Amino acid sequence: MQILIAEDDNTSRKILAAILKKWGYDTIETCDGIGAWEELKKPQAPNIVLLDWNMPGMDGLEVCRKVRQLDSSEPRYIILLTARGDSEDIIQGLEGGADDYIAKPFNSEELRARINVGCRIVGLQIELARKEKLQGVLEMARTVCHEINQPLHVLSGLSDLLLLQVDKDDPRYTMMTKIKSQVFRIGELTKKIMRMTSYQVKDYMDGRSKIIDIEKSSTVDEHSFCVLLNFKGG
Amino acid sequence: MEDKRILVVDDDEMIRDVYSQAFATAGYTVQTAGSAEEALEIMRKTPFWVLFLDLNLPGINGLELCRQTRKDWSMAIAFAVTGYASLFELHDCREAGFEDYFIKPVEFSDLFDAADHAFRKLARWKRR
Repeated sequence: MQILIAEDDNTSRKILAAILKKWGYDTIETCDGIGAWEELKKPQAPNIVLLDWNMPGMDGLEVCRKVRQLDSSEPRYIILLTARGDSEDIIQGLEGGADDYIAKPFNSEELRARINVGCRIVGLQIELARKEKLQGVLEMARTVCHEINQPLHVLSGLSDLLLLQVDKDDPRYTMMTKIKSQVFRIGELTKKIMRMTSYQVKDYMDGRSKIIDIEKSSTVDEHSFCVLLNFKGG
Repeated sequence: MEDKRILVVDDDEMIRDVYSQAFATAGYTVQTAGSAEEALEIMRKTPFWVLFLDLNLPGINGLELCRQTRKDWSMAIAFAVTGYASLFELHDCREAGFEDYFIKPVEFSDLFDAADHAFRKLARWKRR
């Protein structure tokens, strides 16, 4: 887990970085607000951020406000570090977008506990985003499959009607049979996709991009079926 | 021989057309409806005893149509033919009174078998 530090006082910054490393975190260190802002604009920036409030140029609160205005889906948990301790400042800090606030000089164990809170919250945000993305993908897939099944049903019926009109030794009979089997092949595919409750990806074109592994993602869950029968008053 | 009449309810016109043609070749007379409301109107004038219902209908859906049909014409045998496959939907269909449940695209020979089986059942019931 990476943490971004923004602290203009060299000694304080080095001590803070050393403490975090001792606790097992990787750190990205910046010595002013502008440096921190440049880092935080990147999508791969750390999710946990420790910002000193008082810094020359752009202060911690300003960085905080700018980060909150970014249209980013990446969670950023921001703790403001500051010598300012009265209510007015705390309110200003939190309203400005900070998630937490710790007054200097701070107790290192307290900082550790607050960082742990941040990790827990970031974890929850990431999990929620993952679930929402999954739901979105599955809903889209199911809707598309449902729509595709309508014309497939028409094609199935028309194939049968044509097959009745053509002699078995007519070469068109074989072609019609193949058309019908392809219609059902698409039907099997839509059934598989509609069964998916999660998905696994696999490489496509030598790993140039990823596609969903429909086979792996659509194994019928026998257990769910039995549970359903029992649950619904079976 | 008694006329084998079936009612098909689906909001897709092409699907209604293909049912009409396909079932005609198998010797059935087909009446179609584009909505549950239309179907109920038809049933009130002349009931049908074998029905094929799409579930995703505008207005009243196929499940509710089945419930109402089974309530007012309890001898009616209804089959669900739907574009959407889900475990819960199967359970809901059985609960609503559907005899069976098919997911599009369906082999029309399977639908003919279902209709044939339903008419045999009705004939057997009449003989009791």
